[in-house]
Amino acid sequence: MRTGEPRVVIGLFDGVEKAAHAAHALRSLPLPEENVTTISSVPLPDGAVTRDRRPIRFPWIVVVFWLAGALGGLALTLVTYQVYPMITAGKPINTVPPAIIVSFEGGMFAALIATLVLGFRSIGLGPFRSGRKVFDRRIHEGRIALCARVDTGDQERLAIEAMTASGGEAVRAEEGEL
Amino acid sequence: MKTENHLSRLDESKLYDELSRSNLPATKRWYAGTGALLLVVLAAVATFVYMMLTGLGVTGLNRPVMWGVMIILFVFWVGLSHSGTLISAILRITRATWRAPVLRGAEAMTALALMVGGLYPLMHLGRNWRFYYILPYPSERQLWPNFRSPLLWDAVAITTYLTGSLLFLYFGMIPDLAIARDRAAGWRRKLYTFLAAGFRGTHAEWRRYHVASTLFAVIIIPVAVSVHSIVSWDFAMAMVPMWHSTIFAPYFVAGAIYSGIAGVIAVMVILRKAFRLERVLTPDHFDNLGKLLLTFTLVWGYFYFSDYLTAWYSRFPEDWEVIRSYSGHYLPLFSLLVACNFLIPFPLLCLKRVRQSIPAMFAVSLVVNVGMFTERVQIVVPSLARRNDPSIWGSYFPTWVEISFIVGSIAMFALIYVIFSKLFPVVAISDVKEQLFHTTDRTIGGANFSTVVSGEGKEEGRET
Repeated sequence: MRTGEPRVVIGLFDGVEKAAHAAHALRSLPLPEENVTTISSVPLPDGAVTRDRRPIRFPWIVVVFWLAGALGGLALTLVTYQVYPMITAGKPINTVPPAIIVSFEGGMFAALIATLVLGFRSIGLGPFRSGRKVFDRRIHEGRIALCARVDTGDQERLAIEAMTASGGEAVRAEEGEL
Repeated sequence: MKTENHLSRLDESKLYDELSRSNLPATKRWYAGTGALLLVVLAAVATFVYMMLTGLGVTGLNRPVMWGVMIILFVFWVGLSHSGTLISAILRITRATWRAPVLRGAEAMTALALMVGGLYPLMHLGRNWRFYYILPYPSERQLWPNFRSPLLWDAVAITTYLTGSLLFLYFGMIPDLAIARDRAAGWRRKLYTFLAAGFRGTHAEWRRYHVASTLFAVIIIPVAVSVHSIVSWDFAMAMVPMWHSTIFAPYFVAGAIYSGIAGVIAVMVILRKAFRLERVLTPDHFDNLGKLLLTFTLVWGYFYFSDYLTAWYSRFPEDWEVIRSYSGHYLPLFSLLVACNFLIPFPLLCLKRVRQSIPAMFAVSLVVNVGMFTERVQIVVPSLARRNDPSIWGSYFPTWVEISFIVGSIAMFALIYVIFSKLFPVVAISDVKEQLFHTTDRTIGGANFSTVVSGEGKEEGRET
């Protein structure tokens, strides 16, 4: 393995306090904030151990999908009235209430599907993911796994030392992604 | 100040085992119970096939009462499906601290009750093999569906709500499926691995998961409200006495939430007993659900009274004849409805002793659902039986075919729920753990309190 290739150092901690201490030590190595994360069985408050500063924008895209779905529903009803006119009192009419109902439901349907798909993409989920991501099943026993993306060599050694000094157990370096 | 949270005192493996008891290998008793439910469902399916082959004449439907048990069951089950997702979504958004053990059972109830309820409009069609006529596609008949038909609005709304409820249920299960994936073996492991979709629980994953969950909750609430509004418009768009009313949409929504809360309580009591969840589902949870039920007893009562107030005051002859029938031919129905929906639950739910008693809450929830089923009967039958023209007044009583549909619908709901609870955790394990993680003890003077942390932490170094 060449020096400088990215690896992940992972260590297990008994509680939030120890993990927070280790994360602070990693940041002062210095390691960039985005290269350090936790894996836990419960969501930890942002800043308790690590921070995720990347903006979450997919709700705005859901709004766009909602609009598209609503317009689709509106088009469906209006086009239907044009193609298959229903003669009422001698005239083909476009009825507004059904168009509103179908548009509303169409918009909501699109928003629900978009939330699932975009939520999955944003979280990084999907059964057909490529690449191996680091993980430790012991998080289900109440442990907190602290993971840091490091370069091989000094940075890797220092990260392992910092985690061990902060009370980390089973600290090791692995090939893989955060 | 550092305090020890409640989760750190527990062995998380044991907690998982306790909360996922429903997923243990099936016993002979389970197979016997499921088999009995399946037989009842198959009997109802056979009855439906018989009805399809011989025609709607085997039911009690007649002129003028052309809607009967199938429409009553549709409204009842869609109403029952209401509260699960709605309660779950509202509790998630408001971050109610007691919500965790209730969420999964309630969300599952919504999706499964909707599956049952959605069958009945299709069964009611008469020519059931033509059900695809309601789908918007250009056909050889040179006709697209009539968008002015409330039947089509039902199809659109229920499809949206069922999809949303299933997605909401699934999305809420992802962290629990990840735990199950790491502990299961064999085919279950394959199933959970696929459904968990690689969720690990990194900080970024949790953060985005919470945003998506909240977004689902925000979207599903107006969908839920719209669905029962649209179900009410099946009635309100018709020029039938006591149906043609602008109050019907909120009145139906209030009634649906009312019966839904009662349904959630009944399901929770059964789950608590069946899977020994006494430590998780405490009397306090039932106390809170009881307060919700009490609130909606009053809301439903208000809408019910308002619906009749205008008819009573205006004295339109066709409306008045329907109201008069409540003190005559339909007096038993009306009495049962008012007793079960208001006179019995209202005083009982005012008492904390009742709200904290599990058997009493189970009894009240059953009484309310009997009342709400009776209310659906009372909405459908008397108005059609006393139409504008007295020369066609009639009456309606369900035949054995329709009775079998009632029994079959209950069995079908129970069967799907039993299978669901065997495959998936019926308690939102991650939510329970999160609640315990956020709960700490605090002493004020001589008293000890459990305090719950809420909100986000402040950035280090920033002034608070």
